[in-house]
Amino acid sequence: MKILVANRGEIAVRVIRACRDMGLRTVAVYSDCDRAGLHVRFADEAYAIGPDAPAESYLRIDRILDVARQSGADAVHPGYGFLAENATFARACRGQGLTFIGPPVEAIEVMGSKTGARRAALEAGVKVVPGTLEPLGPETPDAAISALADEVGYPLFVKAVAGGGGKGMRLVTEPFDLAGAVRAARSESTSSFGDPHIYLERRLVGPRHVEIQLLGDHLGTIVPFVERECSVQRRHQKVLEESPSVAVTPALREAMASSACAVARKVGYTNAGTIEFLLDEAGEFYFLEMNTRLQVEHPITELVSLVDLVQWQIRIARGEPLTLDRARTLTPRGHAIECRVYAEDPDNEFLPSPGRVLGLRVPAGPGVRRDDGGVTPGLDVPVVYDPLIAKLSVWGLDRDQAIARTARALAEYEVRGIKTTIPFFRWLLENEDFRSGRVDTTFLDRELARRNGRSFVTVPAESEVVALMAAAMYWCERSAGHRSAAPRESPWKRQARAEGLR
Amino acid sequence: MKVDIEINGRTRTVAVERAGTRFRLAFDGRVETVDLARVDGRTWSLIVLGDRPESHEVGLLEGADPGELEIYLRTGVLRARLGSRAATRGPRVGGDQASRAVGAARVTTPMPGKVIRVLVAPGDRVTARQGLVVVEAMKMENELRSPKAGVVRELYVSEGMPVEAGRLLVVVE
Repeated sequence: MKILVANRGEIAVRVIRACRDMGLRTVAVYSDCDRAGLHVRFADEAYAIGPDAPAESYLRIDRILDVARQSGADAVHPGYGFLAENATFARACRGQGLTFIGPPVEAIEVMGSKTGARRAALEAGVKVVPGTLEPLGPETPDAAISALADEVGYPLFVKAVAGGGGKGMRLVTEPFDLAGAVRAARSESTSSFGDPHIYLERRLVGPRHVEIQLLGDHLGTIVPFVERECSVQRRHQKVLEESPSVAVTPALREAMASSACAVARKVGYTNAGTIEFLLDEAGEFYFLEMNTRLQVEHPITELVSLVDLVQWQIRIARGEPLTLDRARTLTPRGHAIECRVYAEDPDNEFLPSPGRVLGLRVPAGPGVRRDDGGVTPGLDVPVVYDPLIAKLSVWGLDRDQAIARTARALAEYEVRGIKTTIPFFRWLLENEDFRSGRVDTTFLDRELARRNGRSFVTVPAESEVVALMAAAMYWCERSAGHRSAAPRESPWKRQARAEGLR
Repeated sequence: MKVDIEINGRTRTVAVERAGTRFRLAFDGRVETVDLARVDGRTWSLIVLGDRPESHEVGLLEGADPGELEIYLRTGVLRARLGSRAATRGPRVGGDQASRAVGAARVTTPMPGKVIRVLVAPGDRVTARQGLVVVEAMKMENELRSPKAGVVRELYVSEGMPVEAGRLLVVVE
């Protein structure tokens, strides 16, 4: 069996590793700027598919299918992002006789519409966040939307039916702002997803985001896993996840898992997927949406279940029956935490900080797993893709040990040359509310607002003295004519040359 | 030899002497002896000698400006500005900070991308942290904000324009 990996970066590397573990051959595709990427170097075969812009390479269904033909691949793994939840792509793969390593096209389609997904959940007997069930198009009069909003109750979210990742989403706290929010959400959704439909959803007070990973085979067996707690979010984007959740008892876990399986069964789901829930303080949980693909945060589930989810995706796709024991997959073995390390400057409103990596020290040791796409000194972090450069996942026997090990690993981790969110995570791991597990989906934005832009880099006075001494020694070495310790593009040399020419 | 080093806004003079792998450093009325081992071109292992020798690993990178050094420590990164005593005694360092506080603020984009929205026009009065320009980069929309309250003096970009990292977008005075 030969597998084409229709993705890049760390997830492409992750899939290739699973294939290697199974003795399967791999085919990579790459855009111009990814020529030296790790996924290219790790794969058995590699094919160029176009310029840097995703729309001209990783989103080009025709080119990826050409590569599949040319390479004689049997199956396609889409990873996450890009074409992973694109029903047209899944259908095109199947049309060409390729195995799409993912769910049936129909399940992607139903779950791709938020209102369709909500209906499926209700039909499966699972509570959804209170709100409207029908998609509201531009033809719906403002007065009708306003009446529906009164029924749903304020504060509420206006959400894009085709939405995801916080796009096309607006919070409305009072009726006066409704019409503007609907217009804004529609226009954002139209430009991002080509779909102007929206729906309304009540905002729950202080909910946690808790999700259930599952696997389904072609014989109808669906196996749920221990929940992931993903409440630590910045502007609706997950930044740190852990498993299990401190808020979930074994009884609640069983209830959430059963609900998740019911929803998946309702849409004939197979392969890996995740049902996202909001969990309120009273322990009530509500279906939020389903992700019909592997997720960024899958490593923490692998760490507490000892199951290789990507290998199972491939085994299921080639028709093998699931042999996992539900009692075991629902019992956490220890505790795991994932930090999403982004090329962003936490001290400058988390703005992207692409550029050339000039130095790297990576964490290792007990409990540490690192997935990255080959961020190596000398390589550029491209500006055109997601700024996720690595995932640091850490396992401990219990939550305290997992936190301690994560903090230790973050202290070892250093990426020089570009800004990353590592200093932010060092701060987060020290936060009292986080350490005691008191988090909901509003926790991080609230804490960040309270910090009001204060730097995450808090270097103690002793360290400042070390820096002072190092700088003086560096000066001494440089003056003595030793080769510069740390040339970047050597601006100093450039300056010296410029002055010499003058 | 003596060198002036500015870290976190504070300039100190350090006297350095070297003998083999050891450096004798005098500053703030104290004297330290530090042993240096090079790990790689950009990483040093330091041991501050004494009854309890302290071990530190530092990474060194020359900054974007001449005379600037980025020092990576276990706790984070610090920026140092260093020069001969004469060089940093001049008005440059202080002048730079002063202009930031009272003069014009130059808003640049830290990353390359594309301008997708311009939220202000020349002459507009803006408050501190008010959004000025939205730049799309790495699939994200990033609102670049005014560092201070003032009036938009210059606007150098328009919607749809690709921008390089460091490109000047707006001047607020």
